[in-house]
Amino acid sequence: MRLTLIVLLPLLGALFAAFLPSNARNAAAWLSGLVTLACTALLIDLYPQVNGVDAVLRERFAWAPQLGLEFYLRMDGYAWLFALLIAFMGVLVVLYARYYMSPQDPVPRFFSFLLAFMGTMLGVVLSGNLIQLVLFWELTSLTSFMLIAYWYHRAEARRGARMALTVTAAGGFCLLLGILLLGNIVGSYDLDDVLVAGDAIRAHGYYPVMLTLILLGALTKSAQFPFQFWLPNAMAAPTPVSAYLHSATLVKAGVFLLARLWPALAGTSQWFWILCGLGLCSLLLGGVVANLQRDLKGVLAYSTISHLGLITLLLGMNSPLALVAAVFHMINHATFKASLFMAAGIVDHETGTRDMRRLSGLAHAMPVTATVAMVSAAAMAGVPLLNGFLSKEMFFAETIFAGEGPLIRIGLPAAATLAGMFSVAYSVRFVHGVFFGPVARDLPRAPHEPTRGMLAPGALLVLACLLVGIFPEQTIGPLLRLAATSILGLDAPAFSLRIWHGFTTPVVMSMLATAGGALMYAFQLHRRQRATVRAPWRASVDGRRAFDLIMVLLVRTSERLMGWISSRRLQTQLVLIVVVGLASGLAPLLGQTAPQPAKALTPLNAVFAFLWLIGAACAVGAASQAKYHRLAALIMVGGAGLMTCLTFAWFSAPDLALTQIAVEVVTTVLLLLGLRWMPRRTKIDELHRQSFRARARRARDFALAIVVGIGIAGLAFAIMTRPSVAVLAPFFLERALPDAGGHNVVNVILVDFRGFDTLGEITVLGIVALTVYALLRRFRPAPESRSIPRAQREDAAREALASGDGLPGDYLRIPATIGRMLLPVAGVVSVYFLLRGHNAPGGGFIGGLVMATAIIVQYMTSGVLWVEARLRVHPQYWIGLGLLLAGIVGVAAWFVSAPFLTSIEWDLHVPMLGNLHLSSVLLFDIGVYMVVVGATVLMLVAIAHQSLRQPRKALPPGEQDEISVMAAVEAER
Amino acid sequence: MEFVVAMAIGVLTASGIWLILRPRTFQVILGLALLSYGVNLFIFAMGRLVTDRPPIILDGALSSSDYADPVPQALVLTAIVISFATTALFLVLLLAARGLTGTDHVDGKEPDA
Amino acid sequence: MITVLHHLLIIPILAPLLAGALQLFLAEQRVIRVACALGSVLVQAATALTLLYLTTDSMPHMWTEGVGVYAIGSWPAPFGIVLVVDRLSALMLVLTSMVALASLVYSLAYWDRVAPAFHSLFQFLLMGLNGAFLTGDLFNLFVFFEVLLAASYGLLLHGSGIGRVRASLHYITVNLVASFLFLIGIAMIYGMTGTLNMADLAGRITLLAPRDRALFASGAAILGVAFLIKAGTWPLNFWLPTTYTAASSPIGALFCLMTKVGVYAVLRVGTLLASGDEQTSFIDVGLFYGGAATIAYAVIGMLASHRLGRVVSFTVVASTGLLFMALGLRVTALTAPVMLYLVNSVLATSAFFMLNGLAQRTRTLRMREAADLAPLPDVTYVGFGVKQSADPLSPKDEVGVAIPAAMAFLGLAFVCSVLLVAGLPPLSGFLAKFALLRTALGQDSSAEISGYTWTFCAAVLASGLAALIALTRVGLRLFWAVRGRTTPRLRIIEVGPTAFLILLCLALTAGAGPVMTYLESAARSLHSPQVYIRVVHATQEATP
Repeated sequence: MRLTLIVLLPLLGALFAAFLPSNARNAAAWLSGLVTLACTALLIDLYPQVNGVDAVLRERFAWAPQLGLEFYLRMDGYAWLFALLIAFMGVLVVLYARYYMSPQDPVPRFFSFLLAFMGTMLGVVLSGNLIQLVLFWELTSLTSFMLIAYWYHRAEARRGARMALTVTAAGGFCLLLGILLLGNIVGSYDLDDVLVAGDAIRAHGYYPVMLTLILLGALTKSAQFPFQFWLPNAMAAPTPVSAYLHSATLVKAGVFLLARLWPALAGTSQWFWILCGLGLCSLLLGGVVANLQRDLKGVLAYSTISHLGLITLLLGMNSPLALVAAVFHMINHATFKASLFMAAGIVDHETGTRDMRRLSGLAHAMPVTATVAMVSAAAMAGVPLLNGFLSKEMFFAETIFAGEGPLIRIGLPAAATLAGMFSVAYSVRFVHGVFFGPVARDLPRAPHEPTRGMLAPGALLVLACLLVGIFPEQTIGPLLRLAATSILGLDAPAFSLRIWHGFTTPVVMSMLATAGGALMYAFQLHRRQRATVRAPWRASVDGRRAFDLIMVLLVRTSERLMGWISSRRLQTQLVLIVVVGLASGLAPLLGQTAPQPAKALTPLNAVFAFLWLIGAACAVGAASQAKYHRLAALIMVGGAGLMTCLTFAWFSAPDLALTQIAVEVVTTVLLLLGLRWMPRRTKIDELHRQSFRARARRARDFALAIVVGIGIAGLAFAIMTRPSVAVLAPFFLERALPDAGGHNVVNVILVDFRGFDTLGEITVLGIVALTVYALLRRFRPAPESRSIPRAQREDAAREALASGDGLPGDYLRIPATIGRMLLPVAGVVSVYFLLRGHNAPGGGFIGGLVMATAIIVQYMTSGVLWVEARLRVHPQYWIGLGLLLAGIVGVAAWFVSAPFLTSIEWDLHVPMLGNLHLSSVLLFDIGVYMVVVGATVLMLVAIAHQSLRQPRKALPPGEQDEISVMAAVEAER
Repeated sequence: MEFVVAMAIGVLTASGIWLILRPRTFQVILGLALLSYGVNLFIFAMGRLVTDRPPIILDGALSSSDYADPVPQALVLTAIVISFATTALFLVLLLAARGLTGTDHVDGKEPDA
Repeated sequence: MITVLHHLLIIPILAPLLAGALQLFLAEQRVIRVACALGSVLVQAATALTLLYLTTDSMPHMWTEGVGVYAIGSWPAPFGIVLVVDRLSALMLVLTSMVALASLVYSLAYWDRVAPAFHSLFQFLLMGLNGAFLTGDLFNLFVFFEVLLAASYGLLLHGSGIGRVRASLHYITVNLVASFLFLIGIAMIYGMTGTLNMADLAGRITLLAPRDRALFASGAAILGVAFLIKAGTWPLNFWLPTTYTAASSPIGALFCLMTKVGVYAVLRVGTLLASGDEQTSFIDVGLFYGGAATIAYAVIGMLASHRLGRVVSFTVVASTGLLFMALGLRVTALTAPVMLYLVNSVLATSAFFMLNGLAQRTRTLRMREAADLAPLPDVTYVGFGVKQSADPLSPKDEVGVAIPAAMAFLGLAFVCSVLLVAGLPPLSGFLAKFALLRTALGQDSSAEISGYTWTFCAAVLASGLAALIALTRVGLRLFWAVRGRTTPRLRIIEVGPTAFLILLCLALTAGAGPVMTYLESAARSLHSPQVYIRVVHATQEATP
């Protein structure tokens, strides 16, 4: 349980801190202090239990066994050491931050993020399941993003944070894939299983891929070449954050993982070449660039890259002793780098600048800080009696025996020595440049010693450096051995941490390094006096530009690509749809022979053929005329519809014929009403009608239309000439009369067998009507069609001179009279159709449409005002009632414990009428009828009403849009 | 007859396709109307062509094979009503678009030629 | 009680129908209509959960192997229309009701009063969705597609405005054409097999002669195209980003479900037809490449777009692509992760759309126009609204800015949604992607990993990364732009639903074990449709 506690405690603390008021400075600090201390204490307390060859603490919780996932915390010596480092460093950073952050700063957020980060970091270190490790890994990317962007109002902070997140998260994705492959190879994500399966892994065919992916993850995290650029930009974070992230935690995660998986992955040439190569690059590159920085934190950032490069190099050497050295240097680097960052932070805090050209001679003003900085810088440079020295000696020693071949034999030690020189140079520069020389005058603030709270953490770390440096065996020795054994098991190498091994090559190398470094700095100073030079190739090194460039390029290219692979034009989309539809329809038929009629064709009838000659002419005519002669086109479409209707009638589908004709009428009326709002065709599009592209497009569309037409005709013919498969039809035909009590099978299907379809369909009708209504309430006529047309002006006049009976006075008098007489008749007819529907052609649809048509006729002949003054139609209610009726009729079946929509029948005896056969089906059909009437009338009325609209003041579309936007915004407020 | 009906379907569909690929909303709506005729006929044709044997049961005992297949007719009936509704909706939308954008181009703005 | 259980399958369709119809009479009484709407959604949620429970074989005496069937009008299949619920459809029903609940509550804050008939349309849309998930009949599926589409037209236009009208002009036209394809497909299938019932169909394919089989396949393919359009597959999906961006935020949330109806249809019809037809491999390959193209399109789209709504729309596209790619791999074990991913992506994107609605308020109108109309190039708006301090090494502005609670919530919700969409831990997005990748790579270490699988893995990671890049870019501008930002007034009924959906994802992560168990059983029953078919045919014995 205690492992869980160690991970959970910081996370809970973070949650708690997040809810503190933004000025609760001390509360937040105390909370975080206690949490970090508690973690440290817990860890120290656990030491005896992990101290042993294979003493491993495990805590498992089931999560998703199907996915091989479990929440598994695992702590061995190595994990323990790292966890302790993280926790203890956390304590110091919290203490430091308490005094570093300005009193106005809303620090609870800061501490909350810090704790969250610490929790996730501990999670990484203590994960026993590799997927879980990746999970925490990505979380550290996220939390560090939050920390780096803490001062998000600063451009650098945002940029740095985003860069860090993008790079490390991308690395994380690679890592995930790599781990998945690893799990696939091993057959488990369990760390224990993976560590013992080393040989199998290295032998496996996917080892190179897997290795590359995992290394990508680790190296991005550890800011190794060529991914180093995010780290310097992360310096925009508050200094305590930098001190934490770049010393003990975030960047160490990468090398931690490499060391963790060392037994499983290391020992191959790929491992050697990738890690040594990149490590060496980072080592040298970081060293060089660190010497060119003007920013204090910049120097530290690049030195961090360089030292991580050193560690990577050590890990890549495939020798156990190098591994030990690597682990050792991880710890040492953490200690001295953290204290250096803190010192830099103090300088920044007290003087108000980090610019090394302005800073100098601070030793007078802040001697203690100077001492701290000096000692830790010395440790970084690898001066004897300090911890840095020991690990560097081991590093030099390892480079000598790294491998065979002159290149490595000579080149590696030489490179190492060179790197040593660089690190000495920038260490000296850091100390001498800032703390010695003439006392700086024009600093933003007068420098003085900071409060103890800020000094103490640095001092403590320096103390650690000294102790480890002087008494290695007594202090770090056992811990290091423990870590080594927990990674390598019993075959961990024996090593002795002594300050003086005798006069060996490494000693010579470090002497060279020290001397060379000193010279290098002296030379730099010399040049500095003559003229301040900026390295010409620095810009190329700073990857910030590169990153931004990549990002911009990414956006630009994708924007350009969008132009090619996408289109906002409807015509293009429809062409694509038609083409794809056609292709997929024909694809399965490829290689099939032309359809041979497999059943007797019905004899050709000349009349029918002639009818369709007209129909075809109508269709084609409509197609050609639709643009310029809308009315003509509309009429011809009607013609085509008429032919369709006749076809239905011809081939024994009376219901269809009736419905088609009724729908035809209503649609035509609708379109006629719509025509009035159409714009006049101008000559402008005449012009670009002639353009070549327009012609080409028309040709393409024409061809497409022809092909599709032929295709669909072919399909229709092919299927029509196959014998029909009788499955549903016989059942319906046989059961219609006996079981459903209806002669008209089509209608029986609609209201009984498949009444459910009808229910859905009338819902569609209702929905559309409502949409139309809602849409037209906000309808704005187009500018030029606003002027009231002649006909309508006469309407107005007609309303005026309407005689007593309300009949229009002019040419519409006769039609209006007829229309009014027609209304009751039409009502009766429609009801007749409705009632007889079950046994003869008819039914709810047809009835409804007839009724609707009758009402529309009223509107057309007598005008909106007259009609609405006399008969109140509430179309919404009709729709609502119809749907409710249909639904309730369906439910009624439940009471005879039958499923929804089962038809129920009553035979009630009515005097004089005799036996009346009532069926729930009829009620259902009445529901249909009502919805059809309601919906149709609602739509027509909505459109008809447009003519009553008093046109508004004309607005260019843009403004209208803006108004609607503003309206939305205001309303949303 | 099958051939004639097939051709009819073909012509209706072809002219419908041609129209929906035009840039003006009114053309598109007519195209949709023609397409719906074509598709309705197509569905209807799936029941094979049968002359003067409407699926209305006469009380005389006729076998089921003496009637036209009622199922496609029912489907077409549903399809007719739905396409009627959507045509109406499209019409109104077309008017609204025309009113708001000031053009009857399907993209709501004149193509910059 | 037991009778109610028997009629349970119709409730998800009936409740919204009646509620929607009732709404038409409650023009004035807002309290009642809201109560009615909420009541109906809650009933649906309860029903869906009960069905989910029943499909876990908890009542074997009632349902065989967790498949429930309901013969409407007591006409047996294949003659009448049957509703069938198996684990997949139950899952989709639950998902629908959850998103619907969130979206409805959210819309009560403002959107439901913008235009009349909002609640009716909302209910009818739900009716359409539930119906599409429940029906076992091909033509009935078409009808419910029409219902949900018609409602979606209305809701997309809800609030009017030039943008919405323009968008819906495209959306409606495309869908009308798609519906024609749908009809042609159904007609051909009926013409060749004489039946419309999906289960019955599965049995009849094998009886077809080769040439008839070819005609049938052509019909099925045309049908498939219709589904692909609804699901938003490249190159049939250019309408999607524009439409989804134009829709008002709660509606956008619902629309996320609608693309998945297309995916569901492919899954359902595909598995049923595949059971009778062995020559479906070319369809799978097509599905795979279609999915790949869709993802590529989505990735490019995300990177190219500068508005949150648009980026999120593209993530919807990406999810479709991913699902189709996964299905195209023909690894039956993948179906369970696919469902997990589907659920996750629907929840995440819905939450994101709602969040988008709220986040837009953080910027004043002028800022919004400045940012949206003329998207600033990357480099400059890394420093959006901030002048470079003269000397970066001696900064004056090293004091943090306090974040108001509303912004804090928005920020947190935004981060969570990004995690979900980009598939970063710890939320279910990561889990889903991990499950997909793991299953795709397979467990057998000796097995060769095919090029398809590699492509799939690459696509998964690429889409995640693209989403991350695009969203951080937009997010920085949205939340960390210093100037022109107003702290929005958020109402609890808007914040609540958004949080609710995200919390659901959290629950999904925590309860991954049981969830996966259910999904795996769902996948199993999906890949052995014999049960489904048997149960449907059983209605013939059941009804005289």
